Amino acid sequence: MDKRLAKNYALLGKQTTDGDGLTACLRSFFKNSTMQIILFAIIMSVVGALSQEKILPYSWLSAFASTFSYAIAAVGFCLLMGYSGLASLGTGGFIGIGTYSVHYIMSEAGLPFGIALITAIAVAVLIGVIVGFISLRIEGIYLVILTLGLSEILRNLYMVLEDRITISTNPNLFGIEITRQMSLYVVVVVLAVIMIITGNIINSPTGRAMLAMKNSTAAAQAMGISLMKYRLMAFIICTVYASISGTMLIIVVRGAMASQGTGFYALITSLNILAAVIIGGYKSIWGAVFGSFIMYGMQTVVLNNIKFLAENPVIITFVSGILVIIVVMFYPGGLAQLVLELRGKARKLRIKMKEARYGKDLG
Amino acid sequence: MARILDNLNPVSERILKLRQSYDWTQAELEALPLHYAEKKKKALNSFLLKANKKLSNSAFKACDKEEYADSIMTEKLQKYDVKQYLQHRKANHLAAVEIFLAIKKGEDWSADLLEVRKANDDLLKEREAYVKKLEAEREAFLRKNSISDSSEYKALSAELEKKYNELSSALDEKHAAEISAKELKLNKKLDSISKNLQLLEAKQTEKHTLPDDILLSVKGLKMYFGGLKAVDDLTFDVKKGEIFGLIGPNGAGKTTVFNCITRFYDATGGEMYFENKYGEVVDLREYKVHDIILQGIGRTFQNIELVKEISVLDNLLVASTRAYRSGFIAHALGLPLLKREEKMLREKAMKILEFMGLESYAGWLAFGLPYGILKKVEIARALMADARLIIMDEPAAGLNDSETAELTETIRRIRDEFGVTILLVEHDMGLVMNVCDTVCAISFGQMLAIGTTEEIQKNKAVQEAYLGMEDDE
Repeated sequence: MDKRLAKNYALLGKQTTDGDGLTACLRSFFKNSTMQIILFAIIMSVVGALSQEKILPYSWLSAFASTFSYAIAAVGFCLLMGYSGLASLGTGGFIGIGTYSVHYIMSEAGLPFGIALITAIAVAVLIGVIVGFISLRIEGIYLVILTLGLSEILRNLYMVLEDRITISTNPNLFGIEITRQMSLYVVVVVLAVIMIITGNIINSPTGRAMLAMKNSTAAAQAMGISLMKYRLMAFIICTVYASISGTMLIIVVRGAMASQGTGFYALITSLNILAAVIIGGYKSIWGAVFGSFIMYGMQTVVLNNIKFLAENPVIITFVSGILVIIVVMFYPGGLAQLVLELRGKARKLRIKMKEARYGKDLG
Repeated sequence: MARILDNLNPVSERILKLRQSYDWTQAELEALPLHYAEKKKKALNSFLLKANKKLSNSAFKACDKEEYADSIMTEKLQKYDVKQYLQHRKANHLAAVEIFLAIKKGEDWSADLLEVRKANDDLLKEREAYVKKLEAEREAFLRKNSISDSSEYKALSAELEKKYNELSSALDEKHAAEISAKELKLNKKLDSISKNLQLLEAKQTEKHTLPDDILLSVKGLKMYFGGLKAVDDLTFDVKKGEIFGLIGPNGAGKTTVFNCITRFYDATGGEMYFENKYGEVVDLREYKVHDIILQGIGRTFQNIELVKEISVLDNLLVASTRAYRSGFIAHALGLPLLKREEKMLREKAMKILEFMGLESYAGWLAFGLPYGILKKVEIARALMADARLIIMDEPAAGLNDSETAELTETIRRIRDEFGVTILLVEHDMGLVMNVCDTVCAISFGQMLAIGTTEEIQKNKAVQEAYLGMEDDE
């Protein structure tokens, strides 16, 4: 082909660049993590709207709302455990900070919901600083026991303050009253914002510093990373997220009882969040969200539709227990690791199918 | 809050902040022309794309129709051939398997051979038919568009070229003005920063001095663990630009000396002075372990301490965590300031990786890379922090002979290229005698001898304590 023709070819758009074309554009759009999260939020809002219109089961509305409220705490826990290498069993107690802020600031004092949210965050920062300072001295399993103790102290404090709280008025956010049906949308928006922020942190110097600290404290310090700063930061983020999760839970559920053994503030919540993060993959935000769906939403959304399981609810507990065991045994990286492996296998399968069709490339 | 977290005294913290912002401003100033060149290239490229779209119609009219039709035909035929190749391959593959089985069983396989020949012939016939079809298409195309008229194309392309040149010169003018304005602004900023710095530096009361050619001076260093005297009254000076080796038998306290210098251990007694990267002599004992890197001391570890879950490039960026101006909020929201800084630091990291010959590993996870590569990445990480003194803890541990030779070369190269001073602890006497300018031998925390490699090799006390022991093994 002579030069002039090649030039004409280029002019006629025969040689397309990578950035051109609708498919390439769409691909880059869907590969952007922020866009994925926004898409997820839109899909969940549509699901909520459909179940509100009773096209999908009505029970999904509250199931998803409470799942995603817990997912907020799980994302924070994921950052704490997967990236900073710290562990805590105090999530239940920290959730209470949010619920009681909403109760006292909004219901008792009659102030708007926004102020309750800010109070919840401020108190959570304070608690996070305390736990963070402790974590400088104590590590590993002892830290877990300590946070567990702190959580129980907080729970007893809640019992003394006011055992049963109920929210009778609808919270008011920027002039919009949030009814119970609407709470899913609020929760989804907050979760999406939290996921985007956490994703940014993970990919920023802060996230790398946390990973370095998890890997080796000595190397991290030699690289100029102050253990105190990043441990405090990790605990503050974790408690703030748990507290926000509490405020979301209380506007979804509208009531809580501290003395109840299976309530928000009990040990079972902390353990469930831990299990959710482990099942989903302790280094993946999506894993944390999906894990909390398995722990909290799956029963209502999936398992109750299966007649056999709906009649024998005991089996569901067994199933989730066995699931945890299987995941820990075979996929220590959680379901996120499973997804990665499946992707690799799909690629291999494609190559094999090609070979089966055309024979092996001998040349 | 920040002061509590970082444990610096207020004056030195402010000085540090000012120096960092000075460095950043300088880097921005240097990157300015490049940044605008990129901007111009982008604008011109987008113009070219649009121009090509505009030209396409007239270019089609102008082009030689026969050549055009030929090229389309060849392209189509090429695609068809690729498809046919796969079909041929499949047929041959299957036939080969069948013939192989037949031979194994001792059956007659001539029928199979005929079959596969026929299949191949069929494919060739199909191709011929396709070629005929293409030729017919070509004829039809030529019948429709036979005239080639290049006048419109020439006029349009000349016009566009003129526009392109105009745009280019306009951009040049605009950018030159912007650059000069920005340069003025940044220079003003630099001036004010340096003024502030001078004021603050005058406030600093304590000032230490070192001789001109000395970088690190350790005087009477003592480190006791209870009753154990790990390091006892050790004194040595490290000159600028030299490779200083610290040797001694196991348990002699070499690593303890390192840990005292990098402040992992709080020395029991003694003095350590260091001329930091801003040319100022500091008392290392005033700094916390995580502030040492800011003075310009980087270190590598005996067992590799890289973050295994992130890429090699990101591992280098870990070392510049303290270089970022952007705070937590910028990180959480992904603000443009952070993106600018990331871009600049990534470029710097790539340059260092290229220097170390590791650029092809930049995107790899640190997990699972060979040991020799990881050792180099650790050195690159120390360079990333603008270290003036790199402390290496047994760099040759776990390396084979060729890797050790390569490491020797690397150590020399980074000393010459980056002007860093290197302080290393090593068991591999070959490496030490090869690379070091000055060697200090210690035993049970006390100095045996210090001098050039020849002097150390001849020294009797060293031979007894160290080299003699090696003979016993």
